[in-house]
Amino acid sequence: MTAPLLEVSNLTTVFHTDDGLIRAVQEVSFKVQHGRTLGLVGESGCGKSVTGLSLMQLVQGRGKVEGGNILFRQDDKSAPIDIAKLDPRGDEIRAIRGNHIAMVFQEPMTSLNPVYTVGNQIAEAVILHQKVDKKEAHERAVEMLAKVGIPNPKERSFEYPHQLSGGMRQRVMIAIALCCQPSLVIADEPTTALDVTIQAQVLDLMKKLQQELGMAILMITHDMGVIADMADEIVVMYAGRVVEQGTPDQIFYNPLHPYTKGLLSSIPVLGKRSKEKLNQIPGTVPHLLALPKGCPFRPRCSYRMPKCMELPELKQQEQSNGCNHCVRCWLYE
Amino acid sequence: MNSNHDNILEVKDLQKFFPIRRGLLKKVVGHVRAVDDVSFEVRRGETLGLVGESGCGKTTAGRCLLRLIEPTGGEIAIRHDGKTTDILALSQKQLKAFRPFMQMIFQDPNSSLNPRMTVGDIVGEPLKVNGISGAAMEEKVAVLLESVGLKRQDIHRYPHAFSGGQRQRIGIARALALEPKLIIADEPVSALDVSVQAQILNLLSDLRAKFGFSCVFVAHDLSVVEHISDRVAVMYLGRIVEIGDSDILYRTPSHPYTEALLSAVPIADPKEQRQRKRIALAGEVPDASKPPSGCAFHPRCQYAKDICKQEIPRLKEATKGTRAACHFSEELTLRGI
Repeated sequence: MTAPLLEVSNLTTVFHTDDGLIRAVQEVSFKVQHGRTLGLVGESGCGKSVTGLSLMQLVQGRGKVEGGNILFRQDDKSAPIDIAKLDPRGDEIRAIRGNHIAMVFQEPMTSLNPVYTVGNQIAEAVILHQKVDKKEAHERAVEMLAKVGIPNPKERSFEYPHQLSGGMRQRVMIAIALCCQPSLVIADEPTTALDVTIQAQVLDLMKKLQQELGMAILMITHDMGVIADMADEIVVMYAGRVVEQGTPDQIFYNPLHPYTKGLLSSIPVLGKRSKEKLNQIPGTVPHLLALPKGCPFRPRCSYRMPKCMELPELKQQEQSNGCNHCVRCWLYE
Repeated sequence: MNSNHDNILEVKDLQKFFPIRRGLLKKVVGHVRAVDDVSFEVRRGETLGLVGESGCGKTTAGRCLLRLIEPTGGEIAIRHDGKTTDILALSQKQLKAFRPFMQMIFQDPNSSLNPRMTVGDIVGEPLKVNGISGAAMEEKVAVLLESVGLKRQDIHRYPHAFSGGQRQRIGIARALALEPKLIIADEPVSALDVSVQAQILNLLSDLRAKFGFSCVFVAHDLSVVEHISDRVAVMYLGRIVEIGDSDILYRTPSHPYTEALLSAVPIADPKEQRQRKRIALAGEVPDASKPPSGCAFHPRCQYAKDICKQEIPRLKEATKGTRAACHFSEELTLRGI
């Protein structure tokens, strides 16, 4: 197997707040393979979005990528670049951002600039990273709009974001992300703000473009359905840490971590209605300023034992199709 | 419409048009037909799910039921103790006296609780308005808090001290304070994390068993609605396109929109999800101020024929046990879940 496109190891991102140090992401490790989709799943505050931002050094303000490595391999020949070591404002990361690694955000309304036409916003990214003039860049923009399935791309390229619907705006976001043919697209809840039928359109579009262009996708979401639909591999996060990792079949049919089990049995699955009650995980996600000692899931876990006062390691359980099933729990030591 | 004594609520041809005003004189240039000829009934003790995508009018319809928004037309009849009350015929004063009968649970527990009021004041307010105060009120509030899984002592705390799920519990306690017979729940779990969502859904079914209220559950999440509802009504562009027992409607839908909607939901089961085929709906929900002619769904419907462009289909009994507003519900074999 070729070397992975992106290799994250022990990534730690912290925020220095007035109330104290928040460790939003702690010792997170995973790999993204060329052309594959990795799903990063968890509830709000689990650190999945901050992980995504860290990969592009976009953690701003009081936040900082504090430790770990983010090895990014543009191709097999060149040496990997450690993004974690780059200056967030430096030229090196700017050459990668939007060019080799691009991002699709949740809220297409707030992430598009309301005073520029959508054609302009796509062309901006092209001009920034490629040696083309304005006219060529605009042609490229129109081409991208056509590619993401926007009807009348030429006319639409002269429209402003407010003239487009939510689904169309998200398509524009995808066009901006893909205009420089990145090898990795980080999609942070790309369909959460959309209706189901539009979500279906956007997910299908992302799959189609992935086949065409061969980029890898890091799909960040809280929706287990979207993950089941999109991911080749899944990373489950809880309170800033990876608690379980595996293929969709491993995660969905043989979940090991009590949190993953709880999460899967607490969602109503379409077509699997039972008169019984949903399983519920007691309590709520802990606040990152007051993380429990040891395993962060301990206070909500029905399997907890004295040993859980110590944090377990993320350990490999089994291997299938070159994919490890790893879990961070004392039950499997 | 089948009216019988088992119905607690009967809605007939409910309409809500919002005027579009333009220009200096704010002349009315058109209407958004947010809710148009919506008819349904809620049986005693059941939960009716009202689903649809954003802008389909589900929230407006829910609010019209309580006259939180004044409907433009139609009938809303409440049957209780052998009496029938027409909600729309009530004066404001009569309506106020009727309020204890029906209550609302809101979507966003952050904006629907006053941050300057203690939990005791919030949950106690409906009691106070209806003449229960002092120690009796305090005791009642404490019991309510316990029944929604909060503690007695929480009575003196403010909303900010609670998590999202707990705030939703406060909102539910407030809605239950007057022991209503009918609850309209507008997206009560969509702002919550999945693990907390299950807690609230379980709480609602426990409370339903305990207090015996009927419920209109407005939501966009089809899996949640399937879980909680006895019957489901699917809305599209201000109209109900299909209504029926949730088991039947999800297994064998009779309206193409229901079919497409069900096929669009990603199922949290990778093997099953890989085998499913999505019905790709072209385009988006049309503008409610300029709805398409005939059946509003026809421009996106793969089965549409000429008649669909001309005639608005009426909601009628379909062979498979639901009622659907489709000209071809008899002939089509649609795929469910």
